[in-house]
Amino acid sequence: MAASKCTRLTGTLSRQLLDSVDSVLFDCDGVIWRGDQAIPGAPEVINSLKKSGKRVFFVTNNSTKTRQMYADKLGKLGFDATADEVFGTAYCSAVYLKNVCKLDGKVYLIGSNAMRQELEDVGIHPLGVGPDPISGVQKDWANVPLDKEVQAVLVGFDEHFSYMKLNRALQYLCNSDCQFVGTNTDTRLPLEGGKAVPGTGCLLRAVETAAQRQAQVVGKPSNFMFECVASQFGLDPERCLMVGDRLDTDIMLGSNCGLKTLLTLTGVSTVAEAEANQKSECPQRQKMVPDFYIDSIADILPALQA
Amino acid sequence: MAGAVGGGRGCVTLHGAQIRDLLDAKHNVLFDCDGVIWNGETAVSGAPEVVTLLKQRGKRVFFVTNNCTRPRENYVQKFSRLGFTDVAEEEIFSSAYCSAAYLRDVARLQGKVYVIGCGGVMKELRDAGVPVVEEEDAEPGASIYNCPLDPDVKAVLVGYDENFTFMKLAKACCYLRNSECLFLATDPDPWHPLRGGRITPGSGSLTAALETASSRKATVIGKPSRFMFECIASQFDLDPARSLMIGDRLETDILFGSNCGLATVLTLTGVSTLEEALAYRDSQEPQQKDCTPDYVVDSVADFLQALEE
Repeated sequence: MAASKCTRLTGTLSRQLLDSVDSVLFDCDGVIWRGDQAIPGAPEVINSLKKSGKRVFFVTNNSTKTRQMYADKLGKLGFDATADEVFGTAYCSAVYLKNVCKLDGKVYLIGSNAMRQELEDVGIHPLGVGPDPISGVQKDWANVPLDKEVQAVLVGFDEHFSYMKLNRALQYLCNSDCQFVGTNTDTRLPLEGGKAVPGTGCLLRAVETAAQRQAQVVGKPSNFMFECVASQFGLDPERCLMVGDRLDTDIMLGSNCGLKTLLTLTGVSTVAEAEANQKSECPQRQKMVPDFYIDSIADILPALQA
Repeated sequence: MAGAVGGGRGCVTLHGAQIRDLLDAKHNVLFDCDGVIWNGETAVSGAPEVVTLLKQRGKRVFFVTNNCTRPRENYVQKFSRLGFTDVAEEEIFSSAYCSAAYLRDVARLQGKVYVIGCGGVMKELRDAGVPVVEEEDAEPGASIYNCPLDPDVKAVLVGYDENFTFMKLAKACCYLRNSECLFLATDPDPWHPLRGGRITPGSGSLTAALETASSRKATVIGKPSRFMFECIASQFDLDPARSLMIGDRLETDILFGSNCGLATVLTLTGVSTLEEALAYRDSQEPQQKDCTPDYVVDSVADFLQALEE
C-alpha cells in the first residue's frame, strides 16, 4: 500500500507538486472542458502553466477529431495550445499502426473522417469510412469483395456503425495475419450539453465478439498514449504530472508509466471510489489511486499566480 | 452426465449396438438444426430418414435452434423443402419463438418491447400478441444525439439484425437506463456459419455491444440457457433423464444439454471438432467440462443402421 496517496491538494502541496514536474498532461472531457464549455478557470490554469515554463499536453481517448481540430477547439475556448501538443486517439492510432504494427498496406477503418485524415497524413490508406448499409442477401455478405492490400482493421468511434461494417471487419479478421487495433474501450462518448452516447468500447466489443479476437488498444490506460508524447518531446516520467477525471483510464495510465497523478472531481470518478480502491487488496485497483485529488483544476490557480 | 472428477469422461464414439441401446433408453430426441440435420439449404445425408424412423419407433422429436431469423411457419416450409416429411410447427423451437413466449408467459410483459432483430423475431412477437415498438425509418430531426423514446417500452430484445445501426444501439441503451426495463437476448452465438466455410456476425456480437453500452447483462433465451428446454417442457411432458440432445456446437448445444440434465451427442457435420471436444473433456475447469459431449458421432446418419434394424 503506497505511503501518502489520495491526498487533497491544497496551497502548499500545490506549489511543491508544480515545482517537482516539468510537464503536465491533461485529459480533456471532464477536466478542462465539458462538451463545448471550458471548465471555469481551466484556460487560465493552462496558460499560466505555460507562462511559468511548464510544458502542457492534451491526452484524450476521443477519436472524433484530428489534432488540428482539437487545437481549433482549444483556441476557441481560450486555451493557448498548438496541434502538436494534442494527442488524441485518431492521431495516436495512425502513429501506432505506422510505427508499432509497421503497417505496409491498407487498413479497413470503422471510424470517423478525422481518423481517415490522420491515417492519410502518415501515408496509410484507409477503406470503409462513411455510411455502409446492408444490401443483397446473406450469402452476399460473407462474400463481400475483400481488398487484398488490407493488413489491419482499426475500430474507433463511428456513428455510421452498421451490421455491414461489422461483417466486413469480421471477414478481414478471419485472416489471422490481419492486425486488429482499437482506439479505446470507453463505453460512453460524452457530448455537448451533458449528454452521452454509446462509446467506441461498444463497437469494439461487437467486433471482438464476432471475430473471437482481442484488439490491441491504443488509448488510455494503454502506455502507448504516454510513450507517443514522451518519444516526441523527450519526457522524463518522474517529472510529469497526469491530470484526469477517470481512475480507470487517466490515473491508471499515470500509475503504469510512473507519472505523478492528480484526480480532478469535475468529471466521472469520485473520491469515494478512489479511497475504495486504496483500501482494496487488488493490485489492479491499487493502480487506480491518484497521488492527489482536487475539486477542479481551477483550484491550482492561486499556487500558480503566487 | 454430471459429477466426474478428474480426467476423461465423455466423448465416447458411438457405433451400431451402442446407438440402439442409447435410443432404447430415450423417449425424446432434441435436434439442433444448422450443422446437424442440414447445412444451409442442403439436408445432411440420411437426416430426413433418421427423423422419420425415430418417429416410427414412437420417439418424440423436437428441433431446438438458436437461429432467430425465421418464424416457425417458415421453418416448416424449409423442412418440407429439404425432404423432411411431417415435421409439425409445434415440434420446432427457435430462439425467436421462445423469446416471444418468455415475454408473454414468464415476464408477462405489460407494455411494449423495443426490438433489435429481423423479420423472424418480429413475426413471432406479433403472433404471441406482444406489442412491438415500430421502427420508423426517417423520424424528422432524429439523430443519435436526440432520438424520441416511446414511454410504453418495458423490455428490450436484441438478436441478429442485418439492419443494425448505431441509432438502434443508442436507442436501446436509453431504454435500458431504466432498471425496470427488461433486457433480453435471443441467443449468444458470436457468429454463424455460412456455406463454404464463411461466417457472419451473430446475435452475440450485437448483444455484446449493447451490454457494454448499458453496463447491464442480458438474459439470454437461447442455448445454452435452460429456457428453451423449459419452454418445450411446458408444452410437452419431458423427463430429462429420458431425453437426448444432438448438436454440433459444444458451447451452445452440448452445454445446453448439460445444463438441462440431458444426455448429449456431438455430431461432426457442423461447427465443433473432436479435438475441441477432447480439450473440454480434459480441462480442469467445471464450466469447460460441461461442454463435453457424452457421445460423438460423425453424422446423424450413423443412427440409421440402428434404426433400420
